[in-house]
Amino acid sequence: MEEVLITCDNLSHVYSGGVVAVKEVNLKIKRGELIGVIGQNGSGKTTLVKHFNGLLKPTYGKVIIKGEETTNKRVQELSRSVGYVFQNPNHQLFAKTVTAELEFGPRNLGLSEEEVHERVEKAIEFFNLDTYRNQHPYRISFPLRKLVGMASIYTMRPDVFILDEPTTGQDNITTRIVYQLIRRLRDEGSTVICVAHDMILLAEVVERMIVMRDSVLIADTDPKTVFSDRKLMSSTHLYPPQITELSHRLKDKNFINTYALSIDEMQKVTDQQLQVKRSK
Amino acid sequence: MRGAVLPISMVPGNSVVHKIAPLPKLLWAVGVLIISFSTRNPAILGAMIVLGLFLASISNIWSSFLKVMGILFPIMVIAIFLQSIAPAFPQPWTPIAQLGPFTIYQEGIYSGLTLFERTFSMTIFAMVFIMTTHPSDLFVSLEKIGMPYVINFILTVTLQLIPILQREFATVLSAQKSRGMKGTGFGAVLPSMVPVFVGAIERVQQMSISLESRAFGSTGKKTSYRNVVMGVKDYVIMVVGLLASAVTLYWIIVDKSLDWSRTMHFSPTLSVILVITAALIFVTFIVISVSKIIKT
Amino acid sequence: MMNTKEPIIEFRDVTFYYPISETPALQNINLKIYEGEYVAILGLNGAGKTTLQLCLNGVIPNMIMGELTGDVFIKGLNTRDYPTRELAKIVGMVFDNPEFQLTQTSVAEEVALGLENLGTSPHDMEEIIGEVLQTVGLSGLKDRSPFELSGGQQQRLAIASALAMHPEIFVMDEPTSNVDPVGKEEIIAVAAKLNQEKHMTVILAEHEVEVVAQYADHVIVIDKGKIILDGTPQQVFNQIDVLAKCGLRTPQVTEFFNQINQSKKLGIKELPIKIDEAESLMLNQFEKK
Repeated sequence: MEEVLITCDNLSHVYSGGVVAVKEVNLKIKRGELIGVIGQNGSGKTTLVKHFNGLLKPTYGKVIIKGEETTNKRVQELSRSVGYVFQNPNHQLFAKTVTAELEFGPRNLGLSEEEVHERVEKAIEFFNLDTYRNQHPYRISFPLRKLVGMASIYTMRPDVFILDEPTTGQDNITTRIVYQLIRRLRDEGSTVICVAHDMILLAEVVERMIVMRDSVLIADTDPKTVFSDRKLMSSTHLYPPQITELSHRLKDKNFINTYALSIDEMQKVTDQQLQVKRSK
Repeated sequence: MRGAVLPISMVPGNSVVHKIAPLPKLLWAVGVLIISFSTRNPAILGAMIVLGLFLASISNIWSSFLKVMGILFPIMVIAIFLQSIAPAFPQPWTPIAQLGPFTIYQEGIYSGLTLFERTFSMTIFAMVFIMTTHPSDLFVSLEKIGMPYVINFILTVTLQLIPILQREFATVLSAQKSRGMKGTGFGAVLPSMVPVFVGAIERVQQMSISLESRAFGSTGKKTSYRNVVMGVKDYVIMVVGLLASAVTLYWIIVDKSLDWSRTMHFSPTLSVILVITAALIFVTFIVISVSKIIKT
Repeated sequence: MMNTKEPIIEFRDVTFYYPISETPALQNINLKIYEGEYVAILGLNGAGKTTLQLCLNGVIPNMIMGELTGDVFIKGLNTRDYPTRELAKIVGMVFDNPEFQLTQTSVAEEVALGLENLGTSPHDMEEIIGEVLQTVGLSGLKDRSPFELSGGQQQRLAIASALAMHPEIFVMDEPTSNVDPVGKEEIIAVAAKLNQEKHMTVILAEHEVEVVAQYADHVIVIDKGKIILDGTPQQVFNQIDVLAKCGLRTPQVTEFFNQINQSKKLGIKELPIKIDEAESLMLNQFEKK
């Protein structure tokens, strides 16, 4: 039984002005989970997730991180346990070199120079940034900057990584790299929470989906269940990946009897349930 | 994070004051500015304050007005405290009371009070002006009296950018705090400012290409979508403002008896109360602000 | 694409170097685009899509320093000979960050920006603004501040603002990349409208290949500054290996059918690129076990 790292206990958040952004959310996040949080802009998904590292504090209810309530904790303290990678890396990058950027987090944690150095090396290796060590963060391409943003949180070794739209604005190659990195982070023992619109990320990489709509948590289950529920998906204006949609159509016609979340799955379904027509 | 933001901007509305064209209002505000700086007569300054408050009340801008005043008022009030113990006034000074180690001077009270009234009256009129005038209308009016289009444009964009950059700054601070950055001290300057700068530069770059792609900078006549038509009422108000300012100014220059600095006397008890109240207001304000900043 | 007419856009041997760069951003680009086409440009970040698009309204070479060899013709006019603000009347452009393009205090004023610069009469302006806001679906929001709009709405506003100048060619540089799914749909719908209803030539740089397959009729693939593929979506997306080498993917149904075409030896010559085609093909080729 894995340790529970984050608990939301009847969490509600009301912004000044009266806007209810999150209403009575209850959930528990354990170590090692790979979660996708989805919902339209304005659904409350970002507000929810900002409670996990203390950027926001509950208006009602509680948020508990590693056994302690967040109400009186500062973001800086919580950043030891929960790392937040912002969507736009430009909001983080300020140093003269990529290495200096990676050193920032661990230095803030008060680690020794040796420890800092060791973590930076590990991050450079993990994210394959060796060629860019001495480059100015703003001189490298945007997709690489996003990786540097992730790496700069990696050096803080938090238990939980929150990734805000990790693949938005990325091309195919970097997107694939990010998928791999997410899986590897989890394999190393981290919990990863992605706030995303990337349907393929949600269908093929994450293992649990939390769906927000109009400030309310309307689903908290595995991707297959979510993607099979067309009504749920269209109510939040989210559409499954093309291959899943194809499987939906074929299932509706009773041609196959399962949904496929990825091309490989569709291939398996075809192998198992269909045969090539003899008369064509 | 809103502690850093002063909510000074137009408040939408339909009041009588809103309906007046920008130029007359600007003129009145400038007139008040000039008069405030020309006199220390508490009555004249007081009258402008009353007038300003009256205009504020008929413009339906109270809640925003009070929000801004809540921040500026305590800061202005400290003028009374400081002046009363160290008047910006030629010697000799007349001591009238003792407050601990501080001596309160007659001239100091006068000086402090009038300084406060001066800033207060200017601020009230500036607020009324800003909160009842749409910036675009203002710029169009200024253009009509000869301001170049480009300056107009730069001012409009700058006005838009201020709240945007404030928001960006807040986001950057959140991002850096999430990396363990302590909120204060020298180590916080670069990580908070560089990203905002770079963001601003990138924004301006894309903006300039976007503008050029919409024919910005074309030579030839430019028209304006927004139109400000000055009615008879507006001209009348402008003329009244000009006359009132001119007359008052003349009166101030000519009538020496308006200098009440030697003739007005304050009772010692009143003075002490005034100074203590001013100091208290200011200190309370500082304490509340600092605790708000520390909390975030 | 059988056209005896002159192309509305033509690149002749275009090579471009950004300042202080030793590798060309564009290499020997030869391209013809005809009126009314919906052209999609695919390529990795940094492949040259934006650079190519900036040549279309003269930003390159007139606003951006660098070395341009070869010629770009818009409606027969050489872009070297006209400032961007002139070409702006023919070529409208929107960029990937919706908010960066907005400067005014209200939606109507933002749309009017170009018109003010062209000296349009206030009366005509009012009409054009109404018409254009309707096209993009922002009619009720004339007095709203652009900065209070959602990402999708902001991008549609940027489109409206460019549209007000009545261009014949509309260029969009990854307009959906910073926008949520609902906004994405809205923007794609507007782009389709511009092409189908307003008969504009649309040039769209985009990463989502499913969208491209659905709407475009002409696809150009750029890799490291060179045009690798240039044809219909059917032609381009069937070149799976070439695309894979550039690091690009094809629509999921195409990739899937590529796999089963080989594994089941179906002998399909042209892989489906749209979901409807894929569905029919599945029903056609297979039966339940």
